[in-house]
Amino acid sequence: MEPLTSFFAVSVVLLGIGIYGLTTKRNALRILFSIELIYNAANLNIIAFARLRDPPIVTGQVLVLFTIALAAMEASVGLAIIMLVSRLNVDIDLRKLNRLKG
Amino acid sequence: MPDPITQIIQLVTSTYFLEIVVFPGLISIAILGAFFTWFERKLTARVQLRIGPSYSSPAGGILQGFADIIKLLFKELIIPEGADRFFFIMSPVTALIIGAALLGLIPFAPGVQIANVEVGLPAFLAIVTLSPTLVLLAGWSANSKFPFIGGLRALFQQTAYEIPLWLSALGVVMITGTLNLTGIVQFQQNNGWLILPQALGALLFIVTSTAEMERLPFDLPEAESEIMMGWQAEYPGPLFMLVQGPAFIKLYAFAALFSTLYLGGYLGPAIIPPIVWFFLKTIVIIVAVMLFRSTFPRVRLDQLLRQGWTTLLTLSIVNIVIAYFIVVGVPAI
Amino acid sequence: MTDLTFLALATVTVASAILALEARDLVYGAAALGITFLGMAGLFFLLDASYVGAFQIAVYIGAVVVLILFTVMLVGPQLGEPPLELRRLSLLTALLVALLLGTAGSLTSAAAFPGPDNCGGGCDLTRLGTTLINQYGVPLEFLSLVLAAAVIGALTLAKADRKG
Repeated sequence: MEPLTSFFAVSVVLLGIGIYGLTTKRNALRILFSIELIYNAANLNIIAFARLRDPPIVTGQVLVLFTIALAAMEASVGLAIIMLVSRLNVDIDLRKLNRLKG
Repeated sequence: MPDPITQIIQLVTSTYFLEIVVFPGLISIAILGAFFTWFERKLTARVQLRIGPSYSSPAGGILQGFADIIKLLFKELIIPEGADRFFFIMSPVTALIIGAALLGLIPFAPGVQIANVEVGLPAFLAIVTLSPTLVLLAGWSANSKFPFIGGLRALFQQTAYEIPLWLSALGVVMITGTLNLTGIVQFQQNNGWLILPQALGALLFIVTSTAEMERLPFDLPEAESEIMMGWQAEYPGPLFMLVQGPAFIKLYAFAALFSTLYLGGYLGPAIIPPIVWFFLKTIVIIVAVMLFRSTFPRVRLDQLLRQGWTTLLTLSIVNIVIAYFIVVGVPAI
Repeated sequence: MTDLTFLALATVTVASAILALEARDLVYGAAALGITFLGMAGLFFLLDASYVGAFQIAVYIGAVVVLILFTVMLVGPQLGEPPLELRRLSLLTALLVALLLGTAGSLTSAAAFPGPDNCGGGCDLTRLGTTLINQYGVPLEFLSLVLAAAVIGALTLAKADRKG
């Protein structure tokens, strides 16, 4: 069995990539990708921490099932918004979406 | 430390290697694929009162599949201009790998199973959900109208059949109490085949899995009379053969899954070995699905979506209620 | 043996995550994101959470990636990112990422969490099911309500300007 630290490391690296994308990208779809990456990092972390106890607890897996469903939901609503924006505005560059600015 | 040659011989003769490469792995899939290509054409022809392929050998053209393979391999490999080469080539290859992974989950006989996963049934259905994505990518990569329409149709079609497919398999899981395919077969050893209590579920499963396999009457992504082979339209000879592969493997894998879930898998009287029982049942299902092709007309996309979200979904929920009463017992009123 | 599998999966996951954000073509990005999700499912299998792994493949790749690809193809190719301006925010991000990677490195070297070898009851599917229904039944029901709300919301949004 691989030590759990390696799984934490993967999770942290994914979180770092996600935050990097979230702050530097302008395309709305890329930002959605970053959010999904962060969700995945969190899921991996939860599952790995559920294995930490001896015997492992099952609640972590239940929690991750909920998270996956919520992430799918978030993606569907987010993509609907992106499609709407692209119809109204052609571009999905988030820095150009400043129509409400006074 | 044995010398490399002995090591290679040991690797080649090990059970694991043989299972992956020979049976139930790649070589047997290729031979069965060539055979069933011929068989399907012959069967469809006989149903429609035609003769079908008959030249490729003395015995009714039985080598037609191999002849097709040789013909397609010698064609020129043309990648359409403006196509996305990476996805154009990689999507059929990935689809083939995914199909082979499906067969690895099926218990062919006691002990003959590449991966006995604890969650065999959800793993199978989950891997299957990857294929419409690949169809969409393949259709997009060809940079042409009909392939792209075919890919989008595959996507829409998935939303129609996916949920009834999972829900109809759920009835079996509720009755057997396990997600493991070997466990499901063992349950049927003690309690009889599930096709009797789960007749509705079996019907729903075969309908939705036909839609999943993209075969007539649900072959909308490649409907040759509407969008001329849809997402496969731009594929040149050798790649076209590669594209045909996953279609057959999915047929084979779904027939195997159906016989595992509802027909007791490899179970049967001990007169003939389990593996022969398994293949008899699988071939019966394959022939049934092939007969759909020659008897039913193609549905329209809106009909499929409406039926998927109304009739199929309602019936699969009814099936779950039936499974509930089978497990708990009908209450005395 | 597990070590090699883990290394391969982790490499694939991280590399395709970077590719998902950095690929010029958004379709490639979406496909790379799909590979990240697959790698993640593989890591779940390694952690004996096989049901969650199957669920991850079915939901993420069967639904989320397909939706993303669909949107990318409808929105049209948005080739390339505008060149990155090295502003305060980006610098802050780079610092944060470096910090996180540093934490990861120190964690790995410390080998602080060995992890139990046998999973036993913690990975039992039956227990997962009973826990999900008995302890978390009410959240599950609320989750389904929220899902229905999300579907209706997405439909409303996507249909909004179909006036004529």
